Amino acid sequence: MISLQLVNAKAGAFRLTDITFDVPQGSYGVVIGPAGSGKTTLLETIAGVVRVTSGRIVLGGEDLTGVAPERRRLGIVYQHAFLFPHLSVAENVGYGALSESIADNAAERFGVTDLFERPVASLSGGERQLVAIARALARRPEVLLLDEPFSALDPRTRSFARRQLRALYYERRFTVLQVTHDFSEAGLLGDVAIMLDKGRVLQKGTPEDVFRKPASPYIADFLGAENVFAGTARPIKAEPPDWLESSSGQVTEMPLAFTTGALTFYALGDVVSGSAHAVIRAEEVSLSSEPSTSSMQNQFRGRITEIVPAGALTKITVDASGTPIVSAVTARSVRELSLGIGKEVVAGFKATAVHIC
Amino acid sequence: MELDTSVLETTPAPRQSSAVSRAAIAIFVALIASVFLLFVLAPVVGLVATGGGRGLSALGRDAELRASLALTAMTATIATILGVVGGTPIAYLLARRDFPGRSIVAAVMELPLVIPHPVAGIALLLVLGRASPVGGALYATGLRVAGSATGIVCAMLFVSAPLYVSAAREAFARVDARYESVARTLGDDVWRAFRRITLPLAARGLTAAAVVMWARAVSEFGAIVILTYNPKVASVLSYDRFTSFGLSEALPVAAVLVLFALVPLAALRALRREGRA
Repeated sequence: MISLQLVNAKAGAFRLTDITFDVPQGSYGVVIGPAGSGKTTLLETIAGVVRVTSGRIVLGGEDLTGVAPERRRLGIVYQHAFLFPHLSVAENVGYGALSESIADNAAERFGVTDLFERPVASLSGGERQLVAIARALARRPEVLLLDEPFSALDPRTRSFARRQLRALYYERRFTVLQVTHDFSEAGLLGDVAIMLDKGRVLQKGTPEDVFRKPASPYIADFLGAENVFAGTARPIKAEPPDWLESSSGQVTEMPLAFTTGALTFYALGDVVSGSAHAVIRAEEVSLSSEPSTSSMQNQFRGRITEIVPAGALTKITVDASGTPIVSAVTARSVRELSLGIGKEVVAGFKATAVHIC
Repeated sequence: MELDTSVLETTPAPRQSSAVSRAAIAIFVALIASVFLLFVLAPVVGLVATGGGRGLSALGRDAELRASLALTAMTATIATILGVVGGTPIAYLLARRDFPGRSIVAAVMELPLVIPHPVAGIALLLVLGRASPVGGALYATGLRVAGSATGIVCAMLFVSAPLYVSAAREAFARVDARYESVARTLGDDVWRAFRRITLPLAARGLTAAAVVMWARAVSEFGAIVILTYNPKVASVLSYDRFTSFGLSEALPVAAVLVLFALVPLAALRALRREGRA
């Protein structure tokens, strides 16, 4: 496990402040945050190469706050790999390996055995990253720290490397903390997500929670939420209304009416009343020609003002009484609904899709 | 209405004039650079051309010259070894660590560079001369500093070690500290990571730094002449011959000293070529 308790650290002029989070034993944690937020410094602090000024770092149940990096039983893989340029690839993989066979096995799993005799300088960025991962794993670390280790890989090799890493992870159940800019990677791999900015933890939880329920409009914006509205919220009933879906009958969030511009929509949140932000992911907004008869509480008529293809989905902006609502729909829906600029449509989303923060 | 074509015809003129002025500037810059190069090169070439042959032939018969060159090489080598041993940890700390008093240490290491060398000699004489407590104590143990090879080493070390520390610091700074971080997580302690990773990666820069220090030590005169006139290193010998016998006697010694100084220069060029390769 990785447990940080009120950790403060200083690297040059940069500071990590009151960092607290837990990645349970055998879990996969992901660190997300803008450039310069302290992600790499965080990994280096856990590794022990950046000194902690206060707080505790517990790895595998043992307080290793002041312990030297070589005694922490962890491995680190940097984005730029940092292969030792005066050594061969084989010597790099074997540098800290527990045994030659473990090094060979790690190299084989990441497909770098063929590179063994090549000088480091001749490797591509992607090859370097694969060698760096193999080098770290050859030491059989209990904690693996990864700083964007797949960033230089082409999509096919990235998928291969992820598969190999995941297979090893399930085999050995070491604890992983990975820095990533790829939000899909965070959702795909992570059990715990930590959002970092300016050396502080802004939010932590499951990737699902962080993505669906960002703690602030800043986080929502950073995580690419298309619909972030400023407005006012007010509770609408003391009892849960009939549209509120709750399998257990226990309602932890309050039904709210949220007003932004000329629109008022139903939402759930723990904000009692007053200024707030509403976040709705574009995938949660559906488009139809006529109002839906389903349980969808929020339906607004408007005209399409923008159509932007975005990979498998197309992002459509609908102007609903002056408020732009972005929906992500499939190319098939675009064809079936004959969507085009200026066409009138109904944008709808459930109250449960609205996150108030 | 007729089209006035005179405007079109004169359009290329500014382009032509700017090309002419660019060429004039290039010629002027080349001229200045050539004069400057000649200023540096002419005295050295003149010295070697005039006294080089006589100097080389004097090596066979002039025992004092041979002894002074050997003494120069030996004392410069010892000073360089001491500079490397003492300066490397300081250079590493200055490049890698942020510690209280870091800027004071850096300033102390630069101090000898700004002191006139005869003044450095006087300062060393004050500290290491027989009349001083330190010099007196050393003399009592049988180690004479002023007027000995030890004094020459001290003078060379004082004036040339800052060059080594400065260049070595740059060499360490060019090696990304994250190589060490990775080595540490792969099981190396601080010393092992330094020995296996940082030192080999900085080796070329450190060697170049040592060569620069050695070359500077060989060419030192001001501090040495105050601290130790005898035995004479090559620079002091050329000065002594000049003041005692005139230019014609000093010339061969000076020319040999210039040829001697070409050795580290060639070594530096070779190191740089290897680095680029």
